[in-house]
Amino acid sequence: MELARPHKTNGLGVQVEDTQICVVMVGLPARGKSLIAQKAQRYLKWLSIDAQVFNVGTYRRTDNPQPTADFFDTSNAEGERMRRAAAEAAVADMLKWFRQGGIIAILDATNSTKERRRWIKQCCDAKGIETLFVESKCDDEDLIMSNILEVKTTSPDYKGLDPEKAAADFRDRIRNYEKVYQTIDEDENDLTYLKIMNVGKQVIINRIQDYLQSRVVYYLMNLHIKPRSIWLSRHGESEFNLHGQIGGDANLSARGELYAEKLPALVRESVGDDRPLTVWTSTLKRTIATARYLPGEYNQLQWKALDELDSGVCDCMTYSEIAEQYPEDFAARDEDKYNYRYRGGESYRDVVIRLEPIIMELERSENILIVTHQAVLRCIYAYFMKKTQEESPWMAVPLHTLIKLTPRAYGTEEKRYDAQIPAVSTWRGKGSVAKHEDPIETTEMLGGGKDGKTDVSKEKKEEGEVAVEGVEGH
Amino acid sequence: MSGRLFHSGKIAIVLVGPPARGKTHISVSLSRYLQWLGVKTRVFHLGDYRRATMGGDMDVPDDYFFINASAASVMLRQKILKKCREDIYGWLNHENGQVAIYDAVNPLSGGRRSLAKEFAKHDVQTLFLESYVTEENILRENARNVKISSPDFIGMDPDEAAKLYLRRIDVKIPLFETMDEPDLNYVKMINAGERIQYNNVSFGYLSHRIVFYLMNLHIKSRQTFFARAGTSSQEDSYKMDAPLSSDGETYAQKMSETLLQHREAERAASISKGGSDAPLKPLTVWTSTRKRTVETAEYLKGKGYKVRQRSQMSQLNPGVCEKLSERSIRRMYPEEVEKHEKDPYHHRYPRAESYHDLAVRLEPIILELEREQNDLLIIAHESVLRVLYGYLMACDAMHIPSLKFPRNEIIEIIPASYQNEAKRVHIQGLAPEMIPGSPEDIRIPVPPSGTLSPMSGLGTPAEPANPIPKTVHPLSKD
Repeated sequence: MELARPHKTNGLGVQVEDTQICVVMVGLPARGKSLIAQKAQRYLKWLSIDAQVFNVGTYRRTDNPQPTADFFDTSNAEGERMRRAAAEAAVADMLKWFRQGGIIAILDATNSTKERRRWIKQCCDAKGIETLFVESKCDDEDLIMSNILEVKTTSPDYKGLDPEKAAADFRDRIRNYEKVYQTIDEDENDLTYLKIMNVGKQVIINRIQDYLQSRVVYYLMNLHIKPRSIWLSRHGESEFNLHGQIGGDANLSARGELYAEKLPALVRESVGDDRPLTVWTSTLKRTIATARYLPGEYNQLQWKALDELDSGVCDCMTYSEIAEQYPEDFAARDEDKYNYRYRGGESYRDVVIRLEPIIMELERSENILIVTHQAVLRCIYAYFMKKTQEESPWMAVPLHTLIKLTPRAYGTEEKRYDAQIPAVSTWRGKGSVAKHEDPIETTEMLGGGKDGKTDVSKEKKEEGEVAVEGVEGH
Repeated sequence: MSGRLFHSGKIAIVLVGPPARGKTHISVSLSRYLQWLGVKTRVFHLGDYRRATMGGDMDVPDDYFFINASAASVMLRQKILKKCREDIYGWLNHENGQVAIYDAVNPLSGGRRSLAKEFAKHDVQTLFLESYVTEENILRENARNVKISSPDFIGMDPDEAAKLYLRRIDVKIPLFETMDEPDLNYVKMINAGERIQYNNVSFGYLSHRIVFYLMNLHIKSRQTFFARAGTSSQEDSYKMDAPLSSDGETYAQKMSETLLQHREAERAASISKGGSDAPLKPLTVWTSTRKRTVETAEYLKGKGYKVRQRSQMSQLNPGVCEKLSERSIRRMYPEEVEKHEKDPYHHRYPRAESYHDLAVRLEPIILELEREQNDLLIIAHESVLRVLYGYLMACDAMHIPSLKFPRNEIIEIIPASYQNEAKRVHIQGLAPEMIPGSPEDIRIPVPPSGTLSPMSGLGTPAEPANPIPKTVHPLSKD
């Protein structure tokens, strides 16, 4: 009798869950390597694939916090030795992390010579770890300069320095790297690599070995760096919201209708008049109705994948009904809300998996407004704002609020527009069966801003007041 | 409709490469994939047009592909091209087509540029797709598999025939320029996907999607098996995720044993015919996250086979139709029934999923299935099997909702270069009440009589909706 073979011995293709991949960034400074590394990590973690960035610069900085360009001159033996030591320390930590079960490590450094790349491959080969080299090659001077000004002058290496001087020093540093830089070429045809030239104008994909690698490559192919924003909104308050019921396909309440009427003005305030915008809704009545007054020139698409989390047998019930009829389920859900799957329905984890193509589409697209549902919004928000699986299902997502997310080099900026139309609160605390309750002080407030604690709590208070008013009005 | 595929405009995918580069295989696979995703796609093989113009038996003039061809050859070439292109425009503009795959050699850079220009005039975007092969054994393998079945090579040693065939190509097409045009959108697939290179002038969604698909397309042969889940103990319904009944467990055991015996028997048969006596490929089992499918795989898991759960593979959500009889559905939702009968693949009952929704949800599974190199058993609900089978067998979308997978059969899909083959393996000794389709299915009104179904009766493999000719004349393709 034939048995499924254990780890990596079948010789005919490796099971995805057996795969460990080291993604090795390659490229001169200011080519957006760190940005790519950060985004890939965020994407993979969101999909529950354990991923970690190892930034060699961080290791080097512990010994030499603010080096000048001379440090990066290859004729500077001391600099060369220290940089090599930093790379070795990063790789050693990375291998340790793999031993603990990590799936995808991203080695963020210039890795600019063939010799260095060969060494990394050998280190990984010895441990049965696949390598995927990702080179970002760019000759567009303007693009490089704008990257230098936006990102590098805020780097820890230049803390407290005059930006002009920092930029000049950084250009010198790049020159030093350029002296030794070797692009990935024919000599390295045995490597698995993705080479992106001039921001995706030309691309080479070499020797992809398995599905997981192809997924990472496909994700990286879809990234772009054009400035854009994403707007998120829940549907207007629904009749089910008023009654504290979940799921269903209810119509908007009278106040929900008001929000639908006000949404075009709110969107115009944030988007401006001349920017093209595409609107995505779910296939449920309440999101379609919420988006129906938006200008006709906005292209509108309905996605089944944006439908609310399917609560299976609990669909259309209130939380107190669920607690009464399915007490064990109710408790189990609060215990692990991310993984709990409603009987005959979905878990947050399931929603994330079905949203993956949406995220891919979002990365590819420019300005998009998504009108969707609480759980779906939490998942999309968690992707952009790097929220953990423990916190994302509990975040408060206020009704009648437009949220604007703008991806930046390090992190995503967030702005929020309150429509000033009262609505009930649909947030629920752990263990609670209340029909409507206000988020407690420590709740992560989605759309509450991330730039300061005071700001966040202020937002919470305002939202709390609105919510109270809503309940009373009902 | 969900998905953006409908908003990408009209696209021509133009193949580039001499014969024996697997262009037809790529065209057919890609068309199958796009078609299944709901993009109206058709392949136009220039070779078919040449045969139609010249008659089947005539070979092309010797200078047909030469730059300085005789006036007669040039005229012939232009006549054939014109007819093919007119058909492409006609299909895109008047038959609501979206992606035309143009399967021809297109050897010269100048020709490709003017082709792209001409398509642009008709408001059609062009994406070139070159298959570039440097490895001699891939060429020989391609030539041996599909080209040398012609009478010219009868009685020849296959290796010799393949060599002769490849030499003929070199003589016939003396000048071939590989793609290097910075101003054109192109994807270059090198050595059957070992390397993919692309030049992106104005790539859209579909172009990136195609690259992702090509990354996972491989030419190695492996088997896919489909089986239904066992029956459950409680009342069957979409929402009650009930565990297997004891009958269901008996089914799981019988199905698993039948499959294992079948695999051994096929291996023995292959060895007796002089095939390789290498051990069987590892078998991986995929199930949905529904209890019944997970528990149906338990028996194999107990024997050490690897089982993986995929939440994307749960059954079609019946929405409001759950537990309703066809009569009630007709009474309660007469308008929806009318819409459904017009388009059973795309129509979605309130709160339900359409088959197209299910296909979009299953799409990542399809790509992983293409990449998988082990043999695969998929245990899933009938609605999921319909969609996956529809993909692998290139069924017409309209027929997918009515495909039948009775519980007493395991479906085996055997890959082939033009059209995969399906075989049904009978499971002996099941109680008759287990066999019919899932009781929780939406009672989808059957297509009106006279509609062709790909299923020519139970127990017989499906016929392809659009049969693709299996034998191709040598040099019959441009």
